[in-house]
Amino acid sequence: MTDRQEGQRVIPFPHGGIVVLVGPSNSGKTTLLRRLVQEGVLLQTEIVSSDDYRTLVGDVEYIDWKGRPREEADILYGDYQLLSNLAFEAMNTVVSMRCRLGKLTVVDATHLQPEYRRKYIDLAAGHDLPCAAWILDLPEQTLLERDKSRDQPRGRQRVKQQFVQFKRSLRGLRDEGFDFTYMLKETESVQFIRKKNPLLAEIGAGVDVIGDIHGCYDEMLELLGRLGYTPDDAGLYRHPDGRTLISVGDVMSRGPKSLDTMRFWKKHCDAGTARMIDSNHGWKIARYLSGRQVTLGHGDENIAAELAQLALEAGGEEADALREELKQFLLSAPSHLVLCREGVRRVVVAHAGIRDEYIGKQSKRIQDFCRYGDTDGLDATGAPVRKEWYVEHESGELIVWGHDPRPYPTVVKNTVNIDQGAVFGGSLTAYRYPEQKFVSVKAYQDYARDPDSPLIRWERGRFSPPNLRKLVEGYSVMTDAYGEISVRGEFVKAAIDTVSHFTIPMEELVYIPPTMSPAPAVSADEAYLEHPREAIAYYRSQGVKTMVAEKKHMGSRAVLLLFRDEAAAVPYVGRPTLGTVYTRTGRAFFGKDTETEVLSRLSSDLHQAGYWARYDTDLLLLDAEIIPWNLKARELIATQYAHVAEAAAMDREQLLGKLREAENAGRDVSGWVQEMEGKLKNARVFREAFQQYCWDTSGLDGVRIAPFHTLAHSGRTFFDQSHLWHMEHGRELAGVSPLFMETEFRTVTSEADEADVIRWWEELTEDGHEGIVIKPETFIVRSGKGLIQPAIKVRGRKYLHIIYGMDYLQPDNLARLKLRKTGKKERHALMECALSVESVERFIRKEPLERMHECVLAALSLESDPVDPRL
Amino acid sequence: MHLIIRAAGAGAGMLSRLLAKNPNNLYDRMEKDARVRIVFTASSEEEAEAVIFVTPDPVELVKGASSAHNDITQYINDREFVVSSLFCTYIRSALGTALNGKTKEAYLPWVERKLALELTFGPVASNLPDVVLEGLFTALGYEVMLERGHAGYTFDLKSRSSVRYIRLKGMQTLQTALRQLFVLIPALDDYKHYYISEDEVDKIRRYGEGWLEDHPQRGLILKRTLRFADAIRQYESLTSGGDPLEGTQAPDEASGEMAETAEKEALFPRVAAAAAEAGAAPKVRLNDLRYAAIADVVENLSLRRSIVDFGSGEGKLSARLSSVPGVREIKAVEPSATAQLRAMDRFARLEGKAGVPVPEPVTGSLFYYDESLRSKDVMILCEVIEHIDEYRLGRVMETIFHEYAPGALIITTPNKEYNEVYEMDQEEMRHGDHRFEWSREAFAAWCSRWTEAYNYSVRLSGIGEFVQDYGYPTQMAIFTKEDTL
Repeated sequence: MTDRQEGQRVIPFPHGGIVVLVGPSNSGKTTLLRRLVQEGVLLQTEIVSSDDYRTLVGDVEYIDWKGRPREEADILYGDYQLLSNLAFEAMNTVVSMRCRLGKLTVVDATHLQPEYRRKYIDLAAGHDLPCAAWILDLPEQTLLERDKSRDQPRGRQRVKQQFVQFKRSLRGLRDEGFDFTYMLKETESVQFIRKKNPLLAEIGAGVDVIGDIHGCYDEMLELLGRLGYTPDDAGLYRHPDGRTLISVGDVMSRGPKSLDTMRFWKKHCDAGTARMIDSNHGWKIARYLSGRQVTLGHGDENIAAELAQLALEAGGEEADALREELKQFLLSAPSHLVLCREGVRRVVVAHAGIRDEYIGKQSKRIQDFCRYGDTDGLDATGAPVRKEWYVEHESGELIVWGHDPRPYPTVVKNTVNIDQGAVFGGSLTAYRYPEQKFVSVKAYQDYARDPDSPLIRWERGRFSPPNLRKLVEGYSVMTDAYGEISVRGEFVKAAIDTVSHFTIPMEELVYIPPTMSPAPAVSADEAYLEHPREAIAYYRSQGVKTMVAEKKHMGSRAVLLLFRDEAAAVPYVGRPTLGTVYTRTGRAFFGKDTETEVLSRLSSDLHQAGYWARYDTDLLLLDAEIIPWNLKARELIATQYAHVAEAAAMDREQLLGKLREAENAGRDVSGWVQEMEGKLKNARVFREAFQQYCWDTSGLDGVRIAPFHTLAHSGRTFFDQSHLWHMEHGRELAGVSPLFMETEFRTVTSEADEADVIRWWEELTEDGHEGIVIKPETFIVRSGKGLIQPAIKVRGRKYLHIIYGMDYLQPDNLARLKLRKTGKKERHALMECALSVESVERFIRKEPLERMHECVLAALSLESDPVDPRL
Repeated sequence: MHLIIRAAGAGAGMLSRLLAKNPNNLYDRMEKDARVRIVFTASSEEEAEAVIFVTPDPVELVKGASSAHNDITQYINDREFVVSSLFCTYIRSALGTALNGKTKEAYLPWVERKLALELTFGPVASNLPDVVLEGLFTALGYEVMLERGHAGYTFDLKSRSSVRYIRLKGMQTLQTALRQLFVLIPALDDYKHYYISEDEVDKIRRYGEGWLEDHPQRGLILKRTLRFADAIRQYESLTSGGDPLEGTQAPDEASGEMAETAEKEALFPRVAAAAAEAGAAPKVRLNDLRYAAIADVVENLSLRRSIVDFGSGEGKLSARLSSVPGVREIKAVEPSATAQLRAMDRFARLEGKAGVPVPEPVTGSLFYYDESLRSKDVMILCEVIEHIDEYRLGRVMETIFHEYAPGALIITTPNKEYNEVYEMDQEEMRHGDHRFEWSREAFAAWCSRWTEAYNYSVRLSGIGEFVQDYGYPTQMAIFTKEDTL
């Protein structure tokens, strides 16, 4: 590219769209384009030329009819017309496709007729792209001279005719609707440059996107402080890592300090450390400041008042200067921003949302969409239809938006809403990328005092049924612990069926207990399939220093959601109830009467012990094991385990008898006899194994509930507490009600602890107990990039008979079983863990039912995706 | 899984020859992934006994099992131990000579000779009661001894074992005895490991020749082996003999739990009596009456282009509504994929019929919100609301009236008062999943709650056979949106 010279005329290319060259033959269009390609300003592929397409379609670029007899000339002229029409059709198809990709296309043809030019204006507008006209206006004499030296001269008469046509069409050209027109008397001295797409920005050291501020200036400064920004000598807030601040717009109106906030963003945008995009309030204020007739409402009137106040205090001149400054600033705000990493679009910031096909483009239609969102969603009665643009977001970028306040950042289909209604007394949110973290500051007060504020309306709609369309074909949930988790439609449908037919009401289904994997490695000891050594080694390899080993009760997994009293349940689940007890698939654990008995018993025990008052909570959410096993699994035990035990024993006893007879009769079957003795022993171990976990109960007598996770109280979850805390809390609960029992556990830090735990495990399991679960000290642990297993089960040698079959320990069986693969189980365990944490968090934050249910439904969907049930 | 064949008395020594096995050697072969072994515990001329047992590879056996039963029962089950069709497949080639009767020429006369046989096999997992099970063999001239497994547990689990051991004694040729077992062992077993193919029909025909045709329990045997009507018909046409099959279905051993029937109406005498008194045509099922009544209501609505059938199940009502004139679109909303598949078969049959809109299956339920169901002309909840807990019903109805706002809403539900006509107990409900059943008064009160809250009017009526003082078995409410003008 040549250096720009002083006073040289510079013409920019739009970054995408159509440039229409206008000029008669010989005006130098092709020559100019050739030069630009040589200069590297233009790609050859960005040029389409009618001459080329005539050649492509009809092998010749021109058909000469001059000097022919009349009849022949007519035929040749007809041929040329047809060729030209087809060539244009082909060419315009290509132009249209390039527009769909947002590419720049320069059309090299004479474009002497307004109707030819119109086509490109419409085509570009249809794709939300600009259309520019470059008009090459050269003297007739030059054209005629150039024609003579051409390979196929068009002829004097035709050139003159074109020139007249050109001059005529110049008159109205500027009003035809081109976004830009450039008149060029010559091209040699003009410099052409490529414009970058102003909507693109690099992510660089990271970005912090700030939600709708609405003049909540003080909260904003607090938020910046929390994000690590500090003012420099010039008063510019800078992040030590050089991160960029981005505003989703609506920094002004409604709140107390609109002018300060706008000044702040102008200053930082000017300094290049921040970007702010256009928004509905921003656009309104821009037009107001431009002197347009607008009615100020929805808090926009506060700005007029602030400006009047400023004029009063600092004088009209200063106020006018600020008006002018802010006007320019707001008018120049881009409709949206596309943040890229190494040229790949990663994040889109748009105030009220954006359609996938608008990303990276700018037009009036797109500007309006980004300011106001999907506005055609009104039904006949004028009520807004629940139509949500983000449901249709399929392209891979993460869209960050504001505009529509909701109490918590909302993640739907790779879109994040970060307007938490600061001005309505909610909070001001920042979204950090690439960390994908939210940081928020609670508003100091409800500035808007709107009795029908979006946050209040949101609260009213808490228990609205989940929008099936968002879920049924598959969807993803953004979890704090694991990031995005996607579930496939086929599994979602199965889960929807489960929820519609079999589970407890979805309002009360707040958590699905996550599945748990055994250690990735099987036991190195040839006598064992699973052993604590591998589980501990797994955690050590992930950098975990302290572990907790808990006894695993063999019963049925249960979730207990208990309320202080019936009324306390209403804000959480929308109906008065003492609570619910459900299985790991969301079905009621007990029959109606037993459940009532369990709940009232626990309720009265907890009251008597002063539990509710001591923790100042209205609810208690527990993850537990309820024993004995036969309480819930009697039918399964009878028809599967006991039945198999009876069959095996009968088969092997009879055969052993016969083989001994055969041996006595002199057959050489001592090996077979030995084999059968071993097998009969296996059958007996099997038969004993499951009886360990079963005993008779009568009413609640003999029923024990062993909570191992205390998941939540009112307004608080306990995922941040160590497992030692959870174990101790379990002990406390065991002291509160005889229905509860504590769980034995050990801590593992040293080698000696490890040996101790192995000994303990051996004793337990030799005694027939199921085994132990080993967990890192804290709930959620990351190693490097990923989450590590929140728990690893180590099942006992005897217990595993009822899982892998009675003969699993036979060396050739065990060797093959050791080839098992735990990958899918581990992935599911991580995802289900993240989902379950997420759903409890959302439940405790009293988020809309739909937000909690999407986690629960995703966990149920993962459970419908088959994984080897023996793991 | 094993079979013990014992022969005593004259010709007992022939046993090993008919089996083509040297009694002094051990037979030990792999058949697929199973080890098939035979050993003789005795082999004198007066007494001979062969023990045939199979040890499937437990690891291979559960591989590639159907994902339809993706739970632990896929892995821990009795297939490894009990005698079944699988067992017969494993031992067929070991016993090939005896089954075919193609023994060495010298022993050929013994193929036709009846021996004093004792056949012991098991364990057997069968839901047939002892008496039926015994009957299967006594009809063939055997003396039957049954033995149960050991079912003592440390806790209260079951009164008796679910496995049995069978010992048969009788005079029979070895070939016929084996053929009888090859038909009856799979018939006893509760589970089949194969699909019923033509080969299977042919096998039953060959093995059954000469004894099955006249077996008094032939129907039961065929039903349990061939299972499908087509295969049974095919067998019947091949053998073209015996009595027509009827009343041969034996009750299950676990007969206490009858499969839940959708409707009890069909069983009730008083209704039938009422119908007879009225000189009514043969009783039509209440289900069909409901569909007809709803179709009638829809046909008389001025707005009926678009219909939502909630809880459409297997799609009978939706399919019925497609023929109502003026109906252009039917959404059949159902959460169950299994039901939906059956509905799709039904809808496929409507494809291509002129002027008949094919209902569109939609996955969904009343507990979710689906924007594509808004503002339809008609929404139908046919026998749906009573399956929803009363305390959840309010929210469901809010969604319907507030969000979906159909032009008309048709709801049917049982009339509790009528249960007395069915001679049901006071507290009994018509279906195990019903959360409530309402009297006419309760239903009317509930309906007016919604007309007060929303701009709808309601008309109540009934479906089925009217009985004085009890009303109709089914109640119907037709809500119509009032013009908002």
